[in-house]
Amino acid sequence: MKTAYLGIDVGSISTKAVLIDKKNKILARDYLWTEVDPIGTVKKLLYSLSDQLAKINEHHQDNPYQVQAVGTTGSARRLIGSITGASVIKNEITTHAIGTTSLYPEVRTIFEIGGQDSKIILIENGIVVDYAMNTLCAAGTGAFLSSLAQRLNEKVEDIGEIALTSDNPTRLAARCSVFAESDMVHKSQIGHSKKDIIAGICQSVVTNYMNNVAKGKRIIPPIIFQGGVSKNIGVTKAFERTTGHEIHVDPDSHLIGALGTAILAKNSKDPRPFDFRISEADFQTKGINCDKCANHCEVIAVYQDEKLIDAWGNKCDRGRVI
Amino acid sequence: MVIGIPRGFLYYKHETLWKGFFDALGITYLISPKTNQEILDRGNEFAIDEACLSSKVYLGHVHWLIEKCDKVFVPRISSYGMDGEVCTKFPALFDLVTNTFADQEIELIHYNMDFRNADAEAPGFVKLGKLLGKSRTKSLRAYLIAKQGEKTQQILEGNKVREAMEQNGLKILVTGHAYNLHDPYLGTPVFEMLKKLDTIPISAARVHDKEIHRASHQISQNIPWVFNRELVGTIAHYQRKIDGIILITAFPCGPDSLINELVLRRIKNPPVLQLILDGQEGTAGMETRLESFIDIIRFKKEGYYDKI
Repeated sequence: MKTAYLGIDVGSISTKAVLIDKKNKILARDYLWTEVDPIGTVKKLLYSLSDQLAKINEHHQDNPYQVQAVGTTGSARRLIGSITGASVIKNEITTHAIGTTSLYPEVRTIFEIGGQDSKIILIENGIVVDYAMNTLCAAGTGAFLSSLAQRLNEKVEDIGEIALTSDNPTRLAARCSVFAESDMVHKSQIGHSKKDIIAGICQSVVTNYMNNVAKGKRIIPPIIFQGGVSKNIGVTKAFERTTGHEIHVDPDSHLIGALGTAILAKNSKDPRPFDFRISEADFQTKGINCDKCANHCEVIAVYQDEKLIDAWGNKCDRGRVI
Repeated sequence: MVIGIPRGFLYYKHETLWKGFFDALGITYLISPKTNQEILDRGNEFAIDEACLSSKVYLGHVHWLIEKCDKVFVPRISSYGMDGEVCTKFPALFDLVTNTFADQEIELIHYNMDFRNADAEAPGFVKLGKLLGKSRTKSLRAYLIAKQGEKTQQILEGNKVREAMEQNGLKILVTGHAYNLHDPYLGTPVFEMLKKLDTIPISAARVHDKEIHRASHQISQNIPWVFNRELVGTIAHYQRKIDGIILITAFPCGPDSLINELVLRRIKNPPVLQLILDGQEGTAGMETRLESFIDIIRFKKEGYYDKI
């Protein structure tokens, strides 16, 4: 029996999953929009991965792959980790650093812009030496791009290509998506073309990132750009203009977090064989408001086929469910 | 007569002094409970939107005390003399509370501290005693006893930090204003998370030490605010004994916004993480930041990257 490891990255906007073998090679991969239903999305992804694995195993019938451990990451890591019985539940920064260094040991700088988070990770000799993350709000992240794209009546997937057709990006206020939106409307009223405004939006994502997340950090090539926004060629080009260096985007750039957590699961000392049939089980979550003190904690309980399997959210023992 | 003490702001600095003074004079007092969601909600209602989180919490505590005591104790402190200035919030606090609760049944009691007008701590407490109908001698004696208690407390706090520094394990210095760090609703969850991550969180916010004041000069010689000077001093003083530094700030804090930037630019080793608290109810964002910060320090130390 050959071993495989599953990594699931449940982000605010999209959910990604990969299966890797012992040598960190990706055997199967897929990603879907999360659409505020992390459990349903993960189930769909598991169906897809289980099909892909079944096809691979047809060629290795005497020695099929078997998933030995699961790792989860992303903002719903706790929820999905408890459902899949994960060995490793890790934050996005760690998993991205691990995933990227496994693919590109020589990398020095990682730009990462996701749905609600953006971060910069600096690496020296394959070791993380510094990192920073956006602090308070989701300005300049995927959420910013998709809200402005919606306002412009364009698909967020298309705006990168449109941005490339402009030679004269419009300058936009970049600090806050609410201000940016009113600035954008104002600029269009005085006659800026749509493609220039779209290019301006891509540029403002980069300006915002450079001023808030990457401020004061030394940016040394090779630079890898990843996270959902890295699929936007307009933003990538704007990064190249601003930094003056080539920006590398991996074809699997959106899967790096999932890859990182799969590697962590592989190295964990707590292997727990995984059965894809879990995607047939019925999962329910229930929010319970604890009224035992003035904090009114919101406790979340997770049920598998009506049996309580995990709960969290209580600040003290009085609100304990499990 | 019952004096109400709001559990916020300088309570976390002068708890021993205040309680000691009232105890020595035989005056009963009532301290508002530990900050909880309800107190913060009340504070949000009464505070203006732009006020800092800590002052919202403070107003929540004052509100809780209304009708439960005869007088609410709100000192007016504008400087600590040679030690430095304080944020404008503190001299304004008395008037802020008076005006915020102008249409409610509330009576305040205070002491002043303003070295420029020769209002040092001792005369301030004597005047406070007078407001409470106590003689000058009695008040002064009460103050001296209480001050002794405060000094002892500070020495004990210093010993605690020194002991923690001797322990084996990943040591994380958590700095910030005492009223944020030690507030059970704001700062304490950070300490609990750090303990869960198997590290030793160390706070030196309640240590008052000449050495620490001097150490602050290594980072900057002219920080006007006394609390920030202490905070920078602890960083300079312990820098070599710790594995990481976490700066905790309540949004939006004027002095911190300047000083934290200074620390981030001038301290290269050990790594520094800045956390901004704004009454967020979800803890996921904070967990992510703390966990990754600790992971990276630990991976670097233990050479995890070789195993990938």
